[in-house]
Amino acid sequence: MLFIFCFGLAAKLQPQFQAMPLSRAKGDILNVVLGDSRRLFANEFYVKADAYYHSGYYPTMFDDNAAFKTAHMAEDTGAVNSKNKGDEAGFLGPKRNWIDAFSRHFYPDHHSHLDEGGPTDELGKSDQVREILPWLKLSADLDPDNVQTYTVTAFWLRERMHKVAEADAVLHEGLRNCPGSYDILFELGRLYDESYHDKDRARNVWEEAARRWNNLSPAEKQENPFIMEQIATHLAKLEEDAGNLPRAAEWFATAQKVSRTPDAIQVQINRLKGKLGEDFNPLMKPLY
Amino acid sequence: MRNIFAVAGVVIKELYRRKDFYVLFIVTILICLVMASVNIFNDAKIARYLKEICLLLVWVSSLIIAITTPARQIPAERENRTLLPLLAKPLTRLELIVGKFLGCWLACGVALLCFYIFFGALSATREHEWPLLQYFQAVMLHWFMLGIVVALSLLGSLVFAAPSSNSTICFVVVGGILFVGRHLDQIALTLKEPVRTIVYSLYFAIPHLELFDVRDLVIHNWPLIPWTYFCLALLYALAYMTVFLTGACLVFRRKAVN
Amino acid sequence: MSAILQTEKLRVEFSSRELRGVPKIALHGLDLEVRAGEVFGFLGPNGAGKTTTMNVLLGFVPPTSGAASLFGIDVRQPIARQRIGYLPELTYYYKFLTAEELLRFYAKIFGLARAEADRRIDELLKLVELEHARKRLIKSYSKGMQQRVGLAQALINNPDLLILDEPTSGLDPLGRMKVREIIQRLKNEGKTVFFSSHELGEVETVCDRVAIIHQGQLKAIGRVSEITGSHANLEKAFLEIIGFPTPTSP
Repeated sequence: MLFIFCFGLAAKLQPQFQAMPLSRAKGDILNVVLGDSRRLFANEFYVKADAYYHSGYYPTMFDDNAAFKTAHMAEDTGAVNSKNKGDEAGFLGPKRNWIDAFSRHFYPDHHSHLDEGGPTDELGKSDQVREILPWLKLSADLDPDNVQTYTVTAFWLRERMHKVAEADAVLHEGLRNCPGSYDILFELGRLYDESYHDKDRARNVWEEAARRWNNLSPAEKQENPFIMEQIATHLAKLEEDAGNLPRAAEWFATAQKVSRTPDAIQVQINRLKGKLGEDFNPLMKPLY
Repeated sequence: MRNIFAVAGVVIKELYRRKDFYVLFIVTILICLVMASVNIFNDAKIARYLKEICLLLVWVSSLIIAITTPARQIPAERENRTLLPLLAKPLTRLELIVGKFLGCWLACGVALLCFYIFFGALSATREHEWPLLQYFQAVMLHWFMLGIVVALSLLGSLVFAAPSSNSTICFVVVGGILFVGRHLDQIALTLKEPVRTIVYSLYFAIPHLELFDVRDLVIHNWPLIPWTYFCLALLYALAYMTVFLTGACLVFRRKAVN
Repeated sequence: MSAILQTEKLRVEFSSRELRGVPKIALHGLDLEVRAGEVFGFLGPNGAGKTTTMNVLLGFVPPTSGAASLFGIDVRQPIARQRIGYLPELTYYYKFLTAEELLRFYAKIFGLARAEADRRIDELLKLVELEHARKRLIKSYSKGMQQRVGLAQALINNPDLLILDEPTSGLDPLGRMKVREIIQRLKNEGKTVFFSSHELGEVETVCDRVAIIHQGQLKAIGRVSEITGSHANLEKAFLEIIGFPTPTSP
């Protein structure tokens, strides 16, 4: 009788419980089991992927990790602003005593990247970067709101693994979980441009990314100007390749506004001005 | 030596007649096969995550066997009163301790071999290669590390009253050394005296089990460890095994057996 | 006849666990001698010191003072145990072994050659009537079967001295009869048997000489008939010796 009563009560209350705003009954099993701690695990697996990118040569919390603040696997995609400082090859420091000196023969002891052939520098095996993918996938499953996981995964999928369809799927999954993310849109644009060679779609997606970024508050724009610089310079190159030089120059001007190396961009603008003539001034009309 | 091998033989028989090893082995196989069946971006060549999971399970299983098997040897002999008829034979206490150690260590070795054969087969399905020398180095280092753990657990079984408390303490100590042993000297520098001296002394006194954890080298296909350092590591392990076994013999000599 | 087993002013003290506690004296200068070829009964009430004496003889407990020897060798030397067999009171053996494996293990410790060990194992399993169960794990044995395995392992090295601690404890009358038969057989083969027991009726039947110990002190030693004296049986004599007056005593 008691069992039937409890079962009936649970069935009656189930819809109300699921409709509650903080209910953990929604979502997948990982969400229910781990709760908010899943983000901790997601971060751990993201770092794990970077450790795999270095074939295990990675600083622990006791080592100097100033050169690993930004994951190198993300940095090497060219779409992430690096916060790394210091010596990435020497985070272990000098040998502290004979035990430390002896022990260095028993774990990875020099810096390498998987996309460059790993510790044995076998460039022919640069597709070994595939080994980071399981951890990135797990990280994305645990924390679907982390944009960088999708962009990094997609980059290596198409760049080294030549799995363009899979990269496309990852980015679209990212857009479902993080709607309107300019980082993901930028990476999607790169996929259309470099892999599908579909310049029009790439342009549309990059311009959408630029619009999304431009809708941020000034404080938010200050946090990540690097991505806008990347979007603008890619659009500039696209327009230049399409022969639309004025538009290209305007995009370079937009990039220069947010760049930390405006002089380098000025060189590009000057080059285009040279082609267009002295009267053209793109700085009068930057797009964003 | 005859007596030592006789005692060791009984310990090995006990291990393969108990369910512990089979349960751990089957669980390892099942988890690895489930992980291997996961589709990761339609790429069948991804191997390292599988190697890592398999090696992690192998390490956990081997530590369970290496700690719990010696932990129950002498206490079980006392509880089951099999110790008295054994010591009533022309068998010294030293031979008994060494025999128990050898039996547990050899049993761990056999178990380890089974685990690593499975590991080799699993990684070969993805990587299509068998770096035998690398596996040899990894297995030997792992086995010798387990020798230190077995000796430590055997000593603990004579010092602590219950096998469960001995096992718990051993797991904590071994886990602590594996995770932070390498960094104790760095931790010491952040502390004030006299704790700094104590931690620093501990750093030099403890057996550095993490030396023998070469999983990263195996997983990421690093080149072989230079043979000189490999042999020195084995000698290092033998030294600690001798120390712990000597301690165990000295404690057991004074212990009442009835 | 030469002394196979000898103790000389054997004293054993166990220190107290309490602070400033008085040590417990288990044996007060015990002098004992067992000659070759005799069946010797070692009697005493619970806590008299019988098990302590056996533990010293087997090397489990070191004496505080005095000496104990087997075949003229100090009991602290492992070689002293080469020619003895021991059956403890509570017989538990490795549950994960079969009877055959257990006997083979002990045979190895005694250094028996393979062929000799095989022959002894077959002989003993037949003697203790465990041939049918030789390949079964000991954990499936009954109490009586475990006792018989114990007897077999005590005889594996064809010992010249057998030390038995309560050999018939827990056995049914048939089991006890079989143990008595084995003891008699060993005596006929010229072996020496040293055993403790509470079954005074049995002791009276099989023993040549007995010693009675009480509160760590030897109270009487001699032939059964000498000890019994004018008493009706050994039990009455025993009770008087340890200081429990019987209705017929003055």
